[in-house]
Amino acid sequence: MLLCLIIGMFEFRVNRNIDPKGLSARKKSMMNIEQQNNSAGCSALYLTGSFFSVDNRFLLIEKGRPMDETSKFNNFSHEQLVSIVALHKDRSAFKILFEYFAPRIKSYLLNFKISNQKAEDLAQETMLVLWQKADKFDSTKAKISTWLFRVARNKYIDQVRKQKYAEVNADDHVDLLVASERTDQNLVEKQNSGRMQVAMKTLNDDQLKVIRLSFFKEMSHSQIATATGLPLGTVKSKIRMAFQALRKELGEYQ
Amino acid sequence: MKNNGIVPDEWIVSYASGALSEAHALVVATQCHFHPDLQEKVNAAEDIGGSLMEDSEPSNMSNHTFDDLMKQIDTLQADDLQPLNDNDLPTPLADYLGNRSLNQLDWRLMGPGLSQVRLWTGPNDERLWLLKAKGGTKMPSHDHSGLEMTLVLKGSYHVGQDCYSPGMLEMADDNTVDHMPIIDQGDDCICLVMTEAPIKFNSLIGRLLQPFTGL
Repeated sequence: MLLCLIIGMFEFRVNRNIDPKGLSARKKSMMNIEQQNNSAGCSALYLTGSFFSVDNRFLLIEKGRPMDETSKFNNFSHEQLVSIVALHKDRSAFKILFEYFAPRIKSYLLNFKISNQKAEDLAQETMLVLWQKADKFDSTKAKISTWLFRVARNKYIDQVRKQKYAEVNADDHVDLLVASERTDQNLVEKQNSGRMQVAMKTLNDDQLKVIRLSFFKEMSHSQIATATGLPLGTVKSKIRMAFQALRKELGEYQ
Repeated sequence: MKNNGIVPDEWIVSYASGALSEAHALVVATQCHFHPDLQEKVNAAEDIGGSLMEDSEPSNMSNHTFDDLMKQIDTLQADDLQPLNDNDLPTPLADYLGNRSLNQLDWRLMGPGLSQVRLWTGPNDERLWLLKAKGGTKMPSHDHSGLEMTLVLKGSYHVGQDCYSPGMLEMADDNTVDHMPIIDQGDDCICLVMTEAPIKFNSLIGRLLQPFTGL
Protein backbone atom coordinates (compact mmCIF):
# COMPACT_ATOMS: atom_id res chain seq x y z
CA MET A 1 0.00 0.00 0.00
CA LEU A 2 2.76 2.43 0.97
CA LEU A 3 4.64 1.57 -2.20
CA CYS A 4 1.52 2.28 -4.22
CA LEU A 5 1.24 5.70 -2.67
CA ILE A 6 4.89 6.46 -3.36
CA ILE A 7 4.49 5.40 -7.01
CA GLY A 8 1.38 7.47 -7.23
CA MET A 9 3.08 10.57 -5.85
CA PHE A 10 6.04 10.04 -8.22
CA GLU A 11 3.70 9.85 -11.20
CA PHE A 12 1.88 12.88 -9.88
CA ARG A 13 5.08 14.94 -9.82
CA VAL A 14 6.13 13.77 -13.28
CA ASN A 15 2.76 14.69 -14.69
CA ARG A 16 2.81 18.08 -13.02
CA ASN A 17 6.28 18.81 -14.38
CA ILE A 18 5.28 17.96 -17.93
CA ASP A 19 2.06 19.87 -17.83
CA PRO A 20 2.06 22.40 -15.02
CA LYS A 21 -1.29 23.91 -15.98
CA GLY A 22 -2.85 20.50 -16.17
CA LEU A 23 -4.74 21.39 -19.34
CA SER A 24 -3.06 19.76 -22.29
CA ALA A 25 -3.99 16.20 -21.36
CA ARG A 26 -7.67 17.03 -21.14
CA LYS A 27 -8.59 15.75 -24.57
CA LYS A 28 -11.32 13.38 -25.45
CA SER A 29 -9.32 10.20 -25.48
CA MET A 30 -8.08 9.09 -22.11
CA MET A 31 -4.85 7.30 -21.26
CA ASN A 32 -5.70 4.47 -18.95
CA ILE A 33 -2.80 2.82 -17.24
CA GLU A 34 -3.05 -0.26 -15.10
CA GLN A 35 -0.06 -1.33 -13.14
CA GLN A 36 0.19 -4.60 -11.27
CA ASN A 37 2.16 -4.66 -8.06
CA ASN A 38 1.32 -7.82 -6.22
CA SER A 39 4.36 -7.82 -3.96
CA ALA A 40 3.20 -4.62 -2.31
CA GLY A 41 -0.26 -5.99 -1.74
CA CYS A 42 -1.93 -3.81 -4.37
CA SER A 43 -3.98 -5.60 -6.96
CA ALA A 44 -4.15 -2.68 -9.33
CA LEU A 45 -3.27 0.93 -9.53
CA TYR A 46 -5.35 2.89 -11.96
CA LEU A 47 -3.84 6.09 -13.22
CA THR A 48 -6.02 7.84 -15.68
CA GLY A 49 -4.06 10.51 -17.48
CA SER A 50 -6.74 13.07 -18.06
CA PHE A 51 -8.11 12.75 -14.56
CA PHE A 52 -4.68 13.05 -13.14
CA SER A 53 -3.75 16.19 -14.98
CA VAL A 54 -7.05 17.96 -14.49
CA ASP A 55 -7.74 17.25 -10.91
CA ASN A 56 -4.56 15.66 -9.58
CA ARG A 57 -6.45 12.62 -8.40
CA PHE A 58 -5.69 8.98 -8.59
CA LEU A 59 -7.53 5.94 -7.46
CA LEU A 60 -6.13 3.10 -5.45
CA ILE A 61 -7.97 -0.16 -5.32
CA GLU A 62 -6.81 -2.41 -2.57
CA LYS A 63 -6.72 -6.16 -2.94
CA GLY A 64 -9.54 -8.00 -1.31
CA ARG A 65 -11.30 -4.96 0.10
CA PRO A 66 -14.93 -4.77 -1.02
CA MET A 67 -15.82 -1.36 -2.35
CA ASP A 68 -19.15 0.35 -2.79
CA GLU A 69 -19.83 0.30 -6.51
CA THR A 70 -20.11 4.05 -6.81
CA SER A 71 -17.78 5.20 -4.03
CA LYS A 72 -14.72 4.57 -6.18
CA PHE A 73 -15.80 7.55 -8.25
CA ASN A 74 -16.15 9.96 -5.36
CA ASN A 75 -14.86 13.39 -6.28
CA PHE A 76 -14.81 12.70 -10.02
CA SER A 77 -16.36 15.44 -12.11
CA HIS A 78 -19.43 14.68 -14.18
CA GLU A 79 -17.43 15.13 -17.35
CA GLN A 80 -14.90 12.54 -16.16
CA LEU A 81 -17.69 10.11 -15.33
CA VAL A 82 -19.04 10.49 -18.86
CA SER A 83 -15.59 9.59 -20.18
CA ILE A 84 -15.62 6.43 -18.05
CA VAL A 85 -19.06 5.52 -19.38
CA ALA A 86 -17.81 6.11 -22.93
CA LEU A 87 -14.71 3.97 -22.53
CA HIS A 88 -15.86 1.21 -20.21
CA LYS A 89 -19.67 1.33 -20.21
CA ASP A 90 -19.29 1.44 -16.44
CA ARG A 91 -22.72 1.19 -14.83
CA SER A 92 -21.60 2.57 -11.48
CA ALA A 93 -20.32 5.75 -13.09
CA PHE A 94 -23.52 5.98 -15.11
CA LYS A 95 -25.62 5.52 -11.98
CA ILE A 96 -23.98 8.54 -10.35
CA LEU A 97 -24.77 10.62 -13.42
CA PHE A 98 -28.32 9.28 -13.54
CA GLU A 99 -29.03 10.00 -9.89
CA TYR A 100 -27.75 13.55 -10.24
CA PHE A 101 -29.16 14.59 -13.60
CA ALA A 102 -32.38 12.59 -14.15
CA PRO A 103 -34.27 14.35 -11.28
CA ARG A 104 -33.12 17.73 -12.57
CA ILE A 105 -34.05 16.95 -16.17
CA LYS A 106 -37.46 15.90 -14.90
CA SER A 107 -37.84 19.19 -13.00
CA TYR A 108 -36.95 21.18 -16.10
CA LEU A 109 -39.50 19.25 -18.19
CA LEU A 110 -42.25 19.67 -15.60
CA ASN A 111 -42.19 23.40 -16.39
CA PHE A 112 -43.96 22.54 -19.63
CA LYS A 113 -47.19 21.28 -18.08
CA ILE A 114 -46.68 17.64 -18.90
CA SER A 115 -47.55 14.76 -16.61
CA ASN A 116 -45.22 13.51 -13.93
CA GLN A 117 -44.94 10.18 -15.75
CA LYS A 118 -44.18 11.79 -19.10
CA ALA A 119 -41.48 13.98 -17.56
CA GLU A 120 -39.94 10.93 -15.94
CA ASP A 121 -40.08 8.94 -19.17
CA LEU A 122 -38.39 11.75 -21.10
CA ALA A 123 -35.73 12.11 -18.41
CA GLN A 124 -35.09 8.39 -18.65
CA GLU A 125 -34.85 8.56 -22.44
CA THR A 126 -32.46 11.49 -22.20
CA MET A 127 -30.18 9.48 -19.94
CA LEU A 128 -30.42 6.54 -22.35
CA VAL A 129 -29.01 8.79 -25.07
CA LEU A 130 -26.13 9.65 -22.75
CA TRP A 131 -25.41 5.93 -22.28
CA GLN A 132 -25.51 5.34 -26.03
CA LYS A 133 -23.63 8.43 -27.17
CA ALA A 134 -21.24 9.13 -24.31
CA ASP A 135 -18.37 8.69 -26.75
CA LYS A 136 -19.68 11.61 -28.81
CA PHE A 137 -19.42 13.96 -25.87
CA ASP A 138 -16.32 16.13 -25.91
CA SER A 139 -15.71 17.81 -22.59
CA THR A 140 -13.37 20.35 -24.17
CA LYS A 141 -16.29 21.78 -26.12
CA ALA A 142 -19.35 21.52 -23.94
CA LYS A 143 -20.58 20.98 -20.42
CA ILE A 144 -22.47 17.79 -19.79
CA SER A 145 -25.41 19.77 -18.37
CA THR A 146 -25.61 21.67 -21.68
CA TRP A 147 -25.48 18.45 -23.67
CA LEU A 148 -28.23 16.85 -21.60
CA PHE A 149 -30.33 20.02 -21.73
CA ARG A 150 -30.13 19.92 -25.53
CA VAL A 151 -31.19 16.27 -25.69
CA ALA A 152 -34.04 16.76 -23.19
CA ARG A 153 -35.31 19.86 -25.01
CA ASN A 154 -35.34 18.05 -28.35
CA LYS A 155 -37.03 14.95 -26.90
CA TYR A 156 -39.77 17.13 -25.44
CA ILE A 157 -40.28 19.04 -28.70
CA ASP A 158 -40.25 15.83 -30.73
CA GLN A 159 -42.62 13.80 -28.55
CA VAL A 160 -44.91 16.39 -26.98
CA ARG A 161 -45.00 19.19 -29.55
CA LYS A 162 -44.60 16.69 -32.40
CA GLN A 163 -42.12 18.91 -34.19
CA LYS A 164 -38.64 18.31 -35.54
CA TYR A 165 -36.20 20.72 -33.97
CA ALA A 166 -33.12 21.13 -36.15
CA GLU A 167 -29.90 20.67 -34.21
CA VAL A 168 -27.09 23.17 -34.49
CA ASN A 169 -24.59 20.92 -32.80
CA ALA A 170 -25.52 17.50 -34.07
CA ASP A 171 -22.96 14.86 -33.20
CA ASP A 172 -21.66 14.45 -36.74
CA HIS A 173 -20.47 17.99 -37.14
CA VAL A 174 -19.29 18.88 -33.68
CA ASP A 175 -15.75 18.60 -34.98
CA LEU A 176 -16.33 21.75 -37.00
CA LEU A 177 -16.05 23.67 -33.78
CA VAL A 178 -12.45 24.62 -33.20
CA ALA A 179 -11.41 24.30 -29.60
CA SER A 180 -8.96 27.04 -28.74
CA GLU A 181 -6.97 27.63 -25.57
CA ARG A 182 -9.46 30.37 -24.78
CA THR A 183 -12.26 27.86 -25.11
CA ASP A 184 -10.45 25.47 -22.80
CA GLN A 185 -9.94 28.18 -20.23
CA ASN A 186 -13.55 29.22 -20.47
CA LEU A 187 -14.66 25.68 -19.96
CA VAL A 188 -12.74 25.44 -16.70
CA GLU A 189 -14.38 28.65 -15.62
CA LYS A 190 -17.80 27.55 -16.80
CA GLN A 191 -17.57 24.33 -14.85
CA ASN A 192 -17.43 26.11 -11.53
CA SER A 193 -20.77 25.28 -10.06
CA GLY A 194 -23.08 28.10 -9.18
CA ARG A 195 -21.57 30.59 -11.62
CA MET A 196 -24.84 30.81 -13.47
CA GLN A 197 -26.71 31.60 -10.28
CA VAL A 198 -24.27 34.41 -9.60
CA ALA A 199 -24.52 35.61 -13.19
CA MET A 200 -28.32 35.60 -13.09
CA LYS A 201 -28.18 37.97 -10.13
CA THR A 202 -26.57 40.57 -12.34
CA LEU A 203 -29.71 40.76 -14.50
CA ASN A 204 -32.42 43.29 -13.76
CA ASP A 205 -35.97 42.10 -13.13
CA ASP A 206 -37.16 42.45 -16.72
CA GLN A 207 -34.10 40.70 -18.12
CA LEU A 208 -34.52 37.85 -15.66
CA LYS A 209 -38.18 37.57 -16.55
CA VAL A 210 -37.64 37.32 -20.32
CA ILE A 211 -34.90 34.71 -19.88
CA ARG A 212 -37.08 32.60 -17.57
CA LEU A 213 -40.10 32.89 -19.85
CA SER A 214 -37.94 31.77 -22.77
CA PHE A 215 -36.36 28.76 -21.07
CA PHE A 216 -39.08 27.65 -18.66
CA LYS A 217 -42.21 28.55 -20.63
CA GLU A 218 -40.78 28.23 -24.15
CA MET A 219 -42.46 31.50 -25.07
CA SER A 220 -41.77 33.23 -28.38
CA HIS A 221 -40.91 36.94 -28.47
CA SER A 222 -44.50 37.90 -29.23
CA GLN A 223 -45.87 35.63 -26.50
CA ILE A 224 -43.51 37.22 -24.00
CA ALA A 225 -44.66 40.66 -25.17
CA THR A 226 -48.27 39.65 -24.53
CA ALA A 227 -47.49 38.06 -21.16
CA THR A 228 -45.46 40.99 -19.85
CA GLY A 229 -47.18 43.90 -21.58
CA LEU A 230 -43.83 45.04 -22.96
CA PRO A 231 -43.58 46.16 -26.61
CA LEU A 232 -42.19 43.48 -28.94
CA GLY A 233 -39.06 45.50 -29.72
CA THR A 234 -38.41 45.96 -26.00
CA VAL A 235 -38.73 42.22 -25.39
CA LYS A 236 -36.17 41.54 -28.10
CA SER A 237 -33.71 44.08 -26.79
CA LYS A 238 -34.09 42.80 -23.22
CA ILE A 239 -33.37 39.24 -24.31
CA ARG A 240 -30.34 40.51 -26.22
CA MET A 241 -29.06 42.53 -23.28
CA ALA A 242 -29.63 39.66 -20.85
CA PHE A 243 -27.79 37.24 -23.11
CA GLN A 244 -24.84 39.56 -23.51
CA ALA A 245 -24.73 40.22 -19.77
CA LEU A 246 -24.76 36.50 -18.97
CA ARG A 247 -22.05 35.75 -21.50
CA LYS A 248 -19.92 38.55 -20.11
CA GLU A 249 -20.44 37.36 -16.56
CA LEU A 250 -19.57 33.81 -17.52
CA GLY A 251 -16.37 34.95 -19.21
CA GLU A 252 -17.44 34.17 -22.73
CA TYR A 253 -18.54 37.44 -24.14
CA GLN A 254 -15.88 39.19 -26.15
CA MET B 1 -36.24 46.10 -41.43
CA LYS B 2 -32.55 46.41 -40.48
CA ASN B 3 -30.51 43.67 -42.07
CA ASN B 4 -26.93 42.62 -41.71
CA GLY B 5 -27.44 39.09 -42.96
CA ILE B 6 -26.92 37.53 -39.52
CA VAL B 7 -29.65 36.30 -37.22
CA PRO B 8 -29.93 38.57 -34.14
CA ASP B 9 -29.02 37.30 -30.65
CA GLU B 10 -32.62 37.20 -29.40
CA TRP B 11 -33.32 34.53 -32.00
CA ILE B 12 -30.29 32.55 -30.82
CA VAL B 13 -31.66 32.60 -27.26
CA SER B 14 -35.11 31.56 -28.44
CA TYR B 15 -33.62 28.77 -30.51
CA ALA B 16 -31.64 27.51 -27.51
CA SER B 17 -34.64 27.66 -25.19
CA GLY B 18 -36.79 25.63 -27.57
CA ALA B 19 -39.19 28.53 -28.10
CA LEU B 20 -39.01 28.56 -31.90
CA SER B 21 -41.34 26.76 -34.26
CA GLU B 22 -40.04 23.97 -36.48
CA ALA B 23 -39.63 26.38 -39.40
CA HIS B 24 -37.87 29.17 -37.48
CA ALA B 25 -35.58 26.66 -35.80
CA LEU B 26 -34.49 25.11 -39.08
CA VAL B 27 -33.63 28.49 -40.59
CA VAL B 28 -31.61 29.52 -37.51
CA ALA B 29 -29.84 26.16 -37.20
CA THR B 30 -29.00 26.10 -40.91
CA GLN B 31 -27.51 29.59 -40.81
CA CYS B 32 -25.40 28.56 -37.82
CA HIS B 33 -23.86 25.88 -40.00
CA PHE B 34 -22.31 28.64 -42.13
CA HIS B 35 -20.97 30.67 -39.20
CA PRO B 36 -18.84 29.11 -36.41
CA ASP B 37 -19.30 32.24 -34.27
CA LEU B 38 -23.06 31.68 -34.36
CA GLN B 39 -22.51 28.08 -33.28
CA GLU B 40 -20.52 29.37 -30.32
CA LYS B 41 -23.36 31.73 -29.45
CA VAL B 42 -25.82 28.86 -29.54
CA ASN B 43 -23.50 26.89 -27.25
CA ALA B 44 -23.43 29.83 -24.86
CA ALA B 45 -27.23 30.14 -24.91
CA GLU B 46 -27.60 26.40 -24.38
CA ASP B 47 -25.14 26.68 -21.48
CA ILE B 48 -27.69 29.00 -19.90
CA GLY B 49 -30.38 26.38 -20.39
CA GLY B 50 -28.14 23.63 -19.03
CA SER B 51 -27.25 25.67 -15.97
CA LEU B 52 -30.89 26.60 -15.31
CA MET B 53 -31.76 22.92 -15.60
CA GLU B 54 -28.91 21.89 -13.30
CA ASP B 55 -29.90 24.51 -10.75
CA SER B 56 -33.50 23.23 -10.68
CA GLU B 57 -34.73 21.66 -7.46
CA PRO B 58 -34.45 17.88 -8.13
CA SER B 59 -37.75 16.05 -8.55
CA ASN B 60 -38.46 12.70 -6.97
CA MET B 61 -37.97 9.79 -9.32
CA SER B 62 -39.68 6.42 -9.02
CA ASN B 63 -37.50 3.90 -7.22
CA HIS B 64 -37.19 1.53 -10.14
CA THR B 65 -36.36 4.07 -12.86
CA PHE B 66 -32.64 3.39 -13.02
CA ASP B 67 -33.08 -0.40 -12.94
CA ASP B 68 -35.73 -0.19 -15.64
CA LEU B 69 -33.36 1.82 -17.80
CA MET B 70 -30.57 -0.70 -17.36
CA LYS B 71 -32.92 -3.53 -18.33
CA GLN B 72 -33.87 -1.55 -21.41
CA ILE B 73 -30.20 -1.06 -22.25
CA ASP B 74 -29.57 -4.79 -21.92
CA THR B 75 -32.21 -5.55 -24.50
CA LEU B 76 -31.14 -2.90 -27.00
CA GLN B 77 -29.32 -3.90 -30.11
CA ALA B 78 -26.19 -2.08 -31.14
CA ASP B 79 -26.97 1.35 -32.44
CA ASP B 80 -27.93 1.50 -36.06
CA LEU B 81 -25.40 3.51 -37.95
CA GLN B 82 -26.86 6.75 -39.15
CA PRO B 83 -26.36 7.39 -42.85
CA LEU B 84 -23.73 10.03 -43.40
CA ASN B 85 -24.66 13.27 -45.05
CA ASP B 86 -23.16 12.76 -48.48
CA ASN B 87 -24.40 15.92 -50.09
CA ASP B 88 -23.13 19.43 -49.59
CA LEU B 89 -26.14 20.80 -47.72
CA PRO B 90 -25.74 22.21 -44.22
CA THR B 91 -26.14 19.33 -41.78
CA PRO B 92 -29.28 20.59 -39.98
CA LEU B 93 -31.06 20.92 -43.32
CA ALA B 94 -29.69 17.62 -44.65
CA ASP B 95 -30.94 15.90 -41.48
CA TYR B 96 -34.32 17.56 -41.91
CA LEU B 97 -34.56 16.36 -45.50
CA GLY B 98 -33.67 12.82 -44.49
CA ASN B 99 -30.34 13.12 -46.29
CA ARG B 100 -32.02 13.46 -49.67
CA SER B 101 -30.10 15.67 -52.07
CA LEU B 102 -31.76 18.72 -53.61
CA ASN B 103 -32.19 16.86 -56.90
CA GLN B 104 -34.19 14.15 -55.16
CA LEU B 105 -36.80 16.60 -53.91
CA ASP B 106 -40.17 17.17 -55.51
CA TRP B 107 -39.64 20.60 -57.11
CA ARG B 108 -42.80 22.25 -58.39
CA LEU B 109 -42.99 25.13 -60.81
CA MET B 110 -44.37 28.29 -59.21
CA GLY B 111 -43.75 30.82 -61.94
CA PRO B 112 -41.30 31.73 -64.70
CA GLY B 113 -37.83 30.64 -63.56
CA LEU B 114 -39.13 29.76 -60.10
CA SER B 115 -39.76 26.44 -58.42
CA GLN B 116 -40.37 25.39 -54.85
CA VAL B 117 -40.53 22.49 -52.44
CA ARG B 118 -42.99 22.88 -49.57
CA LEU B 119 -41.45 21.39 -46.43
CA TRP B 120 -43.79 22.19 -43.56
CA THR B 121 -46.93 24.13 -42.69
CA GLY B 122 -47.37 25.16 -39.07
CA PRO B 123 -50.46 25.66 -36.94
CA ASN B 124 -50.28 29.46 -37.26
CA ASP B 125 -50.02 29.45 -41.04
CA GLU B 126 -46.25 29.38 -40.96
CA ARG B 127 -44.73 27.91 -44.10
CA LEU B 128 -41.31 26.45 -44.59
CA TRP B 129 -40.16 25.91 -48.14
CA LEU B 130 -37.21 25.80 -50.48
CA LEU B 131 -37.09 28.23 -53.37
CA LYS B 132 -35.07 27.75 -56.53
CA ALA B 133 -34.77 30.69 -58.91
CA LYS B 134 -32.85 30.88 -62.15
CA GLY B 135 -30.11 33.49 -62.43
CA GLY B 136 -31.48 36.85 -63.57
CA THR B 137 -35.03 36.17 -62.37
CA LYS B 138 -36.94 39.07 -60.86
CA MET B 139 -39.15 37.93 -58.00
CA PRO B 140 -42.68 39.38 -58.21
CA SER B 141 -43.02 42.46 -56.03
CA HIS B 142 -44.79 41.62 -52.78
CA ASP B 143 -45.57 42.81 -49.25
CA HIS B 144 -45.67 40.83 -46.01
CA SER B 145 -48.26 40.25 -43.32
CA GLY B 146 -45.68 38.73 -40.97
CA LEU B 147 -42.03 37.87 -40.75
CA GLU B 148 -40.22 36.30 -43.71
CA MET B 149 -36.80 34.75 -43.17
CA THR B 150 -34.79 33.88 -46.28
CA LEU B 151 -31.51 32.03 -45.90
CA VAL B 152 -29.38 31.72 -49.02
CA LEU B 153 -27.97 28.22 -49.59
CA LYS B 154 -26.57 28.60 -53.11
CA GLY B 155 -26.27 31.47 -55.59
CA SER B 156 -27.06 35.04 -54.60
CA TYR B 157 -29.59 37.85 -54.99
CA HIS B 158 -29.94 41.57 -54.47
CA VAL B 159 -32.63 43.65 -52.83
CA GLY B 160 -31.81 47.21 -53.81
CA GLN B 161 -28.19 47.73 -52.77
CA ASP B 162 -28.13 44.79 -50.36
CA CYS B 163 -26.57 41.56 -51.60
CA TYR B 164 -27.39 38.19 -50.06
CA SER B 165 -24.99 35.32 -50.68
CA PRO B 166 -24.72 31.78 -49.22
CA GLY B 167 -25.04 31.78 -45.43
CA MET B 168 -26.72 35.19 -45.27
CA LEU B 169 -30.18 35.69 -43.85
CA GLU B 170 -32.67 38.31 -44.97
CA MET B 171 -35.44 39.17 -42.55
CA ALA B 172 -38.43 41.07 -43.95
CA ASP B 173 -41.60 41.98 -42.07
CA ASP B 174 -44.77 43.99 -42.58
CA ASN B 175 -42.69 47.16 -42.67
CA THR B 176 -41.01 45.85 -45.81
CA VAL B 177 -43.05 47.00 -48.81
CA ASP B 178 -42.57 46.36 -52.51
CA HIS B 179 -40.12 43.61 -51.68
CA MET B 180 -38.59 42.61 -55.01
CA PRO B 181 -35.46 40.48 -54.83
CA ILE B 182 -33.52 40.10 -58.08
CA ILE B 183 -31.53 36.91 -58.56
CA ASP B 184 -27.95 37.54 -59.66
CA GLN B 185 -26.98 36.35 -63.12
CA GLY B 186 -25.36 32.94 -63.35
CA ASP B 187 -26.13 29.97 -61.15
CA ASP B 188 -29.53 29.13 -59.77
CA CYS B 189 -30.21 30.66 -56.38
CA ILE B 190 -31.57 28.24 -53.78
CA CYS B 191 -32.96 29.55 -50.50
CA LEU B 192 -34.58 28.16 -47.38
CA VAL B 193 -37.60 30.38 -46.69
CA MET B 194 -39.89 30.71 -43.69
CA THR B 195 -43.01 32.87 -43.91
CA GLU B 196 -45.27 33.53 -40.93
CA ALA B 197 -48.23 34.53 -43.09
CA PRO B 198 -49.09 34.37 -46.79
CA ILE B 199 -47.18 36.96 -48.77
CA LYS B 200 -49.16 39.63 -50.63
CA PHE B 201 -48.30 39.89 -54.31
CA ASN B 202 -48.68 43.31 -55.84
CA SER B 203 -49.07 42.11 -59.41
CA LEU B 204 -52.16 40.52 -60.90
CA ILE B 205 -50.18 37.53 -62.17
CA GLY B 206 -48.71 36.95 -58.74
CA ARG B 207 -52.14 37.03 -57.16
CA LEU B 208 -53.55 34.72 -59.82
CA LEU B 209 -50.75 32.20 -59.28
CA GLN B 210 -50.85 32.38 -55.48
CA PRO B 211 -53.49 29.66 -54.95
CA PHE B 212 -51.29 27.25 -56.89
CA THR B 213 -48.07 28.14 -55.10
CA GLY B 214 -49.60 27.87 -51.66
CA LEU B 215 -47.57 30.85 -50.47
